[in-house]
Amino acid sequence: MGKKTILIVDDEMDMRLYLSTLLESHGYRPLTRRDGKDGMTSIREDRPDLILLDIMMPGDGGVKMYRRLKGDPALTDIPVIMLSAVTASSFRHFLTMLNAQQVKPVPEPDHYLEKPVDHDQLIQLVRDTIG
Amino acid sequence: MEQTILLVDDEPDLRDVLEIYLTELGYSVYTAENGEAALQTFQRTVPSIVLSDIKMPGMDGIELLRRIKTQAPATEVIMITGHGDMELAIDSLKLQATDFITKPINDDMLEVALHRAEERIAMRRQLKAYTDNLEQIAEEKTRQLLEVENLAAVGRAASELAHTIKNIAGALKGGIYVMQRGIEDDNRDYLMRGWGMVEGNVDKIKNLAMDLLDFGKSEHLNFQTDTPLRALNEALELLRNRAEENGIAFKVNTLEGVTPRRIDSESLYRCLVNLIQNAIEAFDEESARQDGREIVVELLPGPDDGLVYKVCDNGPGIDTETQKHIFKGFFSTKGTRGTGIGLMMTKRIVERHGGRIVLASGRGTGTCFTLHLPKNPPDS
Repeated sequence: MGKKTILIVDDEMDMRLYLSTLLESHGYRPLTRRDGKDGMTSIREDRPDLILLDIMMPGDGGVKMYRRLKGDPALTDIPVIMLSAVTASSFRHFLTMLNAQQVKPVPEPDHYLEKPVDHDQLIQLVRDTIG
Repeated sequence: MEQTILLVDDEPDLRDVLEIYLTELGYSVYTAENGEAALQTFQRTVPSIVLSDIKMPGMDGIELLRRIKTQAPATEVIMITGHGDMELAIDSLKLQATDFITKPINDDMLEVALHRAEERIAMRRQLKAYTDNLEQIAEEKTRQLLEVENLAAVGRAASELAHTIKNIAGALKGGIYVMQRGIEDDNRDYLMRGWGMVEGNVDKIKNLAMDLLDFGKSEHLNFQTDTPLRALNEALELLRNRAEENGIAFKVNTLEGVTPRRIDSESLYRCLVNLIQNAIEAFDEESARQDGREIVVELLPGPDDGLVYKVCDNGPGIDTETQKHIFKGFFSTKGTRGTGIGLMMTKRIVERHGGRIVLASGRGTGTCFTLHLPKNPPDS
């Protein structure tokens, strides 16, 4: 069985380097993209097993990408771990406020992690999600 | 409180009688026999009440009243008039005399007049106390408000600063982790990668500290007559090598006609370093062009003998969303570089010169920062 592919979408290069090293050294195949637009292209082409998504990105942000992902029946089952610098409670509030304006609410991600990300915690979460 | 009275009358007998009478009423009494002497005594003793005959040889009561009211408008002046002096009495009221009493002096009338004078003094004192108090209260409230405002601003800045430091610390931790993997797995790529992350973030925290120090310095400017070219030349000097390393050509354009003037060269130097540094770093972006990289730095005469510094690059440009926030502290193009303090500082320094900063940019068209400075800073 081949390595599982994990797509990392984060605008910060340091974060991409850290996460890809972390995943690679634990036997996964990391792919990195720097915004939601490139991220979406990669999802369609590479069909990753898991997505690590930074939610607070400038430009074509993580929320937009996440919504497109969840709106596509072919892709909606790919699990997503969201990351950002805000606390989990702030993130939930943000999601609630976002959904209050939407006809079609955005589903919660499979997991949410606050940055800075603890490596043991992240690896455990990845294992729990995709094995 | 004991009141002092200056009693002015050219008739010695009447003076004596009134002095005794007023002293008995509890006043501290000074006397004078004519207008000139009265004015001297007035200046020396500053009585709260003056009781003066209206008709005297030399400087008469009316003139004395006029002078006293000019020197000390709050003095209560009661005029003593003879029977046929109604017109003079009315004149004295026009000149703000408190009251007038007629000769022969009736004790009751005098007491009424004195009472009225004292009431007015007391009222005036009360009013002054209220006014002073009001000013004090207003001052106190203003101070409290400012303190709250300042605390709020400090609180916001501290929380943003904490956030920035947390980000850098997070990235440092990431770098250290990557290096550790490199050591454990004996993976040289990881080692180098982690080392680069640590180095970059140590730089970031150093820059943050420098930015904060510079920002502190921009609080008080030191205006001195200097040539505006100096700040620009020194900034170019500092950054020339760094630009070359990044394959960027400097184009410098300084026109004649910008004369020495009162500026803070040191602060303007920091502004220009900040702007040129930003321009250089703009080319780090992944979408930046690789060839023909150029930064144009200009010093031009402005309208009304003002001056204009201009820093333009042909880098990737700044999108409109980012432009909205760019002069706010701690806003940065997120993590990748800088803290956003530099532009906030630049704006502050330019504004303290009485000038303004203008940004023109668009995705793909490059970025231009223009500093418009008037001929003189506002406080000179």
